[in-house]
Parts: sequence; C-alpha cells; structure tokens
Amino acid sequence: MLEQYGVTRLEVDVDGSLSYPEPVLDQKDNAERHSSAKPLNCEEEHLMRVFYEQKIQEVCAAFKFPHKIQATAILYFKRFYLQWSVMEHHPKHIMLTCVYTSCKVEENHVSAEELGKGIQQDHQMILNNEMIVLQSLGFDLIVYAPYRSVKGFIEDIEEFCQARNGEQEKFKDLRETALLEVDKMMLTDAPLLYTPGQLALAGLRRSNAVHRVLDFEGYLHNLFSRQRTAYSVSQLGELMGTIDSLVEQLKIPTAKDMRHIDRKLKSCWDPSAQDENKKREKRSKHKSKRAASEMQGPVPEV
Amino acid sequence: MRREGFGVARVGGGGLGCVGVGDGGRARQQRWLQQYELVGKIGEGTYGLVFLARTKQHRKSSIAIKKFKQSKEGDGVSPTAIREIMLLREISHENVVKLVNVHINHADMSLYLAFDYAEHDLYEIIRHHREKLNLSINPYTVKSLLWQLLNGLNYLHSNWIIHRDLKPSNILVMGEGEEHGVVKIADFGLARIYQAPLKTLYENGVVVTIWYRAPELLLGAKHYTTAVDMWAVGCIFAELLTLKPLFQGVEVKATPNPFQLDQLDKIFKVLGHPTTEKWPTLVHLPHWANDQQHIQGHKYENTGLHTFVHLAPKSPAFDLLSKMLEYDPRKRITAAQALEHEYFRMDPLPGRNALVPSQPGEKIVNYPGRPVDTTTDFEGTTSIQPPQPPSGNAPPGSVSAQSVAASRAVARQMPAMVGGQRIPAASMAAFNAAAQPGMVGLNPANIPMPRGAAAQQQLRRKDPGVMQNPGYPQQKRRF
Repeated sequence: MLEQYGVTRLEVDVDGSLSYPEPVLDQKDNAERHSSAKPLNCEEEHLMRVFYEQKIQEVCAAFKFPHKIQATAILYFKRFYLQWSVMEHHPKHIMLTCVYTSCKVEENHVSAEELGKGIQQDHQMILNNEMIVLQSLGFDLIVYAPYRSVKGFIEDIEEFCQARNGEQEKFKDLRETALLEVDKMMLTDAPLLYTPGQLALAGLRRSNAVHRVLDFEGYLHNLFSRQRTAYSVSQLGELMGTIDSLVEQLKIPTAKDMRHIDRKLKSCWDPSAQDENKKREKRSKHKSKRAASEMQGPVPEV
Repeated sequence: MRREGFGVARVGGGGLGCVGVGDGGRARQQRWLQQYELVGKIGEGTYGLVFLARTKQHRKSSIAIKKFKQSKEGDGVSPTAIREIMLLREISHENVVKLVNVHINHADMSLYLAFDYAEHDLYEIIRHHREKLNLSINPYTVKSLLWQLLNGLNYLHSNWIIHRDLKPSNILVMGEGEEHGVVKIADFGLARIYQAPLKTLYENGVVVTIWYRAPELLLGAKHYTTAVDMWAVGCIFAELLTLKPLFQGVEVKATPNPFQLDQLDKIFKVLGHPTTEKWPTLVHLPHWANDQQHIQGHKYENTGLHTFVHLAPKSPAFDLLSKMLEYDPRKRITAAQALEHEYFRMDPLPGRNALVPSQPGEKIVNYPGRPVDTTTDFEGTTSIQPPQPPSGNAPPGSVSAQSVAASRAVARQMPAMVGGQRIPAASMAAFNAAAQPGMVGLNPANIPMPRGAAAQQQLRRKDPGVMQNPGYPQQKRRF
C-alpha cells in the first residue's frame, strides 16, 4: 500500500480506523504502471521539502520581505505537507502560494502578478492553489515567529548584563547570529514542535556559543527566577539540546540530489516519460550544468 | 432556487465544522450546500452577500452565511475575508459572534462563512424604539446591552485585537432560544491584531461610517489603539439612551482620506473645544497641527453633554459616558475599567438576557425579526418572478422614494456583517425628513437595499422570528 500511494496518503479517522482516500491514478492505470513508477520514499520527500523551504527564504530575501513573512510562509508550507505528499502537489507551486498567502496575512500585500513576475513564474499557478492551501491550513492563519522573541530577549539580556554604552556592538552580533540560527531552525521540524520563545532562546544560546557575550546558563536561571514557567531550566536545556541536534542534522539538498528526486517525481506523474528521460539523460550526460539549472526551480531574479 | 452547478467543498478538520467532520479537508462535490436549507438573503455589502439558512440536522438551527466575492479581478481570496477568518478562528467568547464553518466554492473561488444567526442588532432595536414605539429603551436593557458589549470588547482587547468598526449595526443580539438577548460583536473585516503594523483605513481602501470615529483618528492619527473602540462604545451608549446618533457629521466623500471637518465640528459642539491642557498630544496630530480649515479656531462653549443625553451630570451613567467620550485617548476609560464602573453595580443590575428584564411586571418589547429576501439564491441571483408579487413590484435597482420608505422596515443593508457601501441616495433625504422629525440630514448609513422590496414585504409576515414568539404580545406592527 505504501508503495502504491506514497507515504502520506494514509488517513486515520476519528475512530482510529485507517482508510486510503482516492488513489491518484485509477486502478487500471495503476496496475499497468505499478512496475515502472516508483514513488518517492520518505527521505526523498523530506529532502524535497527542505529544498523548497530554503527556496522560500531565497524568494523572500530577494523581495526584501520582513523576516516574519518568510517564517509564516515556511510554516504554511510545512503544515500543508503534513496533509499532502509532494507527489500530489508540487512544492514549487505550493511554495509560491505560501509566500503569497503569508504576504496577505501579514499585511504586506503583494499582488500575485507582481510576485510571479519577480520570480518568473506563472502567477495563475499561485492563485490556483490559494484555496487548497487555505483549506489545508484549516484557515488557522496566525503564526507567531521566533524573530520577535529574539529581539525581546536581546533587550532583556542587555538589561541582565547591565550593558553600558559602547557595548552595543557585541549585542548586535549576538542578535544577528541568533537570527541566522533561527533561519536555519525554520528549515527543520523545530518550529512545528517548539514555541517561538523556545526557538529564540535556542538560537541565542547557539549564537552565544560563538560570540561568548554572557553566561547563558546564568541568564536562564535569572529568567526563570523572574517568571513562573511550566518547566525547569534543565528541562529547557534538554529541549534546546533537541533543537540543536535538529539544526545539526539539517541537510540542505544540493541541486544534484534534487535532480534525482525530481526525475523520480516526474515519472510518478507520467511513467511513460521515464524512458524518454533516460534516453535524454544519456545524451546529455555531459551537459549536466544545463539540467541542473532546470531542476533548481524558481531562481529569484529581482 | 438554483442549487445545481455548485462545485463546492466544505472545509474539514480543524474542528471548524459541526457537520461531516472526517472528510479530511478534501474536496467533495456539492456536499456542504445540502446541509442547509436556504431561507433568503438578509444583507449585502461591498464584500458580498449574507444569507439566512437553516441546518437540516435533528436540531434545526439558524445560520447566517456570509458570501465573500473574490477581491479584485485576479487577486485571489479577498484580504478582508482572510483577515476576518483568521481572527474569528482564534477567538471564542460569549459576546463575540461565532464562526461555525467555512465553505469554499471552488467553481468561482468564493468563500462562505457560516455564523450562528442573530435575529436582532442594535441598529434595528434602536430604530424600532424610535420609529415604531416612540419610546426609550428600558434602562435594564440599555445597561445589559452595554455591559455585554464591553465584556466582549474587553475580551478582544485582552487578546490584542482592535475591532475598529464598532457601530450599532455590528452589535448583534440573539433572538429566541437558549441565548436569547445575548450580545454578539460581529464583523471583523476591519479588525486587527495590534502588534501587526496598522495601516490607515484609507490605505486599506475601506470606507467606514464616520459617526463612531474617534477624534484622534479624525485629526489624522496614524496609529490605532484600543481607545478608538471605546469612543465608539461611548457613541453607541448615547444612542441607546436617546435613540439617535450622537455625532451625525456629514461625511466628506473624496479620496484620499479626506479631512472630516463636519464630524469634528459636531463633536466639538457637544463636548466643547479640545484643549492642549486636557489633551497634551493634540499638538502632534497632523490635522490639528496644520490647523486644517482653521479647526483650532472653531470655538464652542461647552454646552454640556448631559443636556444631549438627558442624564443628570452627577449620575453614574453620565460619569461612565463622559469617561468613554474623553478626548485624550490615553485618559479614555478602558473596557476593563468600564466593566468595574459604579453604573453596573447599581439597580437595575445588568443581566444575560438583555431583552427580557428580570423584574416581573416590566413591559417586554417584542422586537421584529430580521427581514429576509427570499427571492435571492446563494449565487445572489434575484428571481424574476417572486412568488405572488404584490402590485407595484418595483424592478430591482430602481426604487422610488415611496417604496424606499416602505421597504425600510423590510429590507436594508445587512447590519450584522460589515458596514458595506453607503448609497448617497437623494431620495433618502425626503424619507428621513418625513419619518424622523427633527432628524433631517441623518446620514443614511444603513439605508435599505433597493431590491425586490415589495415582494419581501409580503414574505416578511412569514418571518419565523415573529411567529416563534407566542409568549409575548404582538406589538402593533404595521405592514
């Protein structure tokens, strides 16, 4: 079954029973194609999602959108693919719709046309997927990103360190690196698992490991002494450790990895094209550069 | 009623739906519409249409379905719809309207928001007293309505939401049933989370009625605070007491974002001229600083708010009202503070059913139900042959002054959801002059919907909101 429908096609009903919703292809076709078309495995789906999440960051950076837009878009994207497989909706399209929707929600409205033009993609595709994205998100659209928390904690840390004038520079470094760390976290499962405040602290701790601005452990104890929290400093430490390992495990796929996965995905959609692909691949073995740029998906050109 | 050709899926999951949960958010054809029995259209605005429907389940409940059109040509789901849904999905409070479901029509990419239906709203309640009963609203009812409005608003403000468009037609009151007489704040199309950057209304391209707009906004303040909602509550409080809008300025219609001199003038006339002593940040407000149209020079003696609202200047009610209408937004009373005000601690105490006083012997007002236009289907198409059209059936869109007056009681712009476009109909002036002595120049903020008026009038009698009220004496209502 898994092989037939891909990894995320299984549906669990309220009563715990499993069901397999409408197959992508009808039964007859399926039987014929079953032998040739191999669905993506979990790892490949995962790589593909990470690749396009990183693309979201590139696109948002190219448009000079605020950090918040990028974070919201990535969370939409992640939550969308909790419900769907990349074999059902191509992440290249969904990614753009997520950016578009994020702009609307964050009051930074950009028309679909403008967005499409900026990254040389058909804006109709963005609009076509808008409803399915909204629907898949259950219309739960408000997202809290860790970026604001980072800024808040920095102010608190400055106070904790009783920062004097002239020391501003090191806190700025602490913040900038923490923001970059949070950017990385956005590409992992961490934002689905931890709160913005926890992510922000984990980012600051990682940043402090580089800049050595303060006794972070001491700061955490101070922080906890001021606020009633549901967990202890050591529990927070454990949780930040998990976030650390998620960041360290993060592997951003190369264009080469993507080439392989994308080819496989194409054959899932249209198995007859597979032989075609193989032939072409042989022919253009030495022209891999061109192929690589094709596979890269939308490249921001602003 | 045309129901075919409706490729519609309902939104599953997320706890949004009460019906058909478990279809995993996937598109199913023609599913959701069959859950409802369409009764008719109850309103219309720039965003789209509002319908009344009933669920077909064991307990037939009434649902208001708000249909959003696509925003601009080719720019997907309307940002207003998105804003409203995203806020409503987060909030849950007895005094805030409840979003029951969201439906999608994939055929034309329109959204349908299903709400618990509220039979009344403050606009209609006030109007009923002013025009039909010629009698002020019971003090218990006024206090209960105000308390519940503040209770809902306090909830919103504690959750960092500013409503920004409070006015009588957006304050709903539940009809007969378990929640009879409970206030529901509606219409979050302009609401904002206030950590988000707040753009001015003009930039959002939305027109809101100016009568409830706070002075700092009229003077060009760019930032919204929760105090703007409290100003509006003050205006509504006064309107509940006197049955007419407190500050009825004549709106300047121009772009971009015109300076509303007349509205400010109306405020100054009642509250006196603002001074920098009482309102220090006044000097920073752009329209004041530029002395737009010599606004600083418009001097009025403080004639006294109490004479306008017929309250004793030392009464707790007046004290509360004047604290809501405080010029300086920083000094203006907050919703939380207002709930603690002495006014609410003295008899009559506010109650949950605002429409039915707890003391026996009090006269109970039987408010008419919301008019329903049963000639319009879900797609907004008005049928050309309504059932048994009475004589003088005016064609849609062309209504004489006479039939406007007649239809006013029958159909008007949907109050509940969104202050939609106002139609500066010349014919309204004549109507206002005739029907409301002393109220000439009343801005027709909620003027009737000139469509199928005559037909609705007949159907009106079947209105369930009226029929299901056997316990109370029928008020003299003229048709």
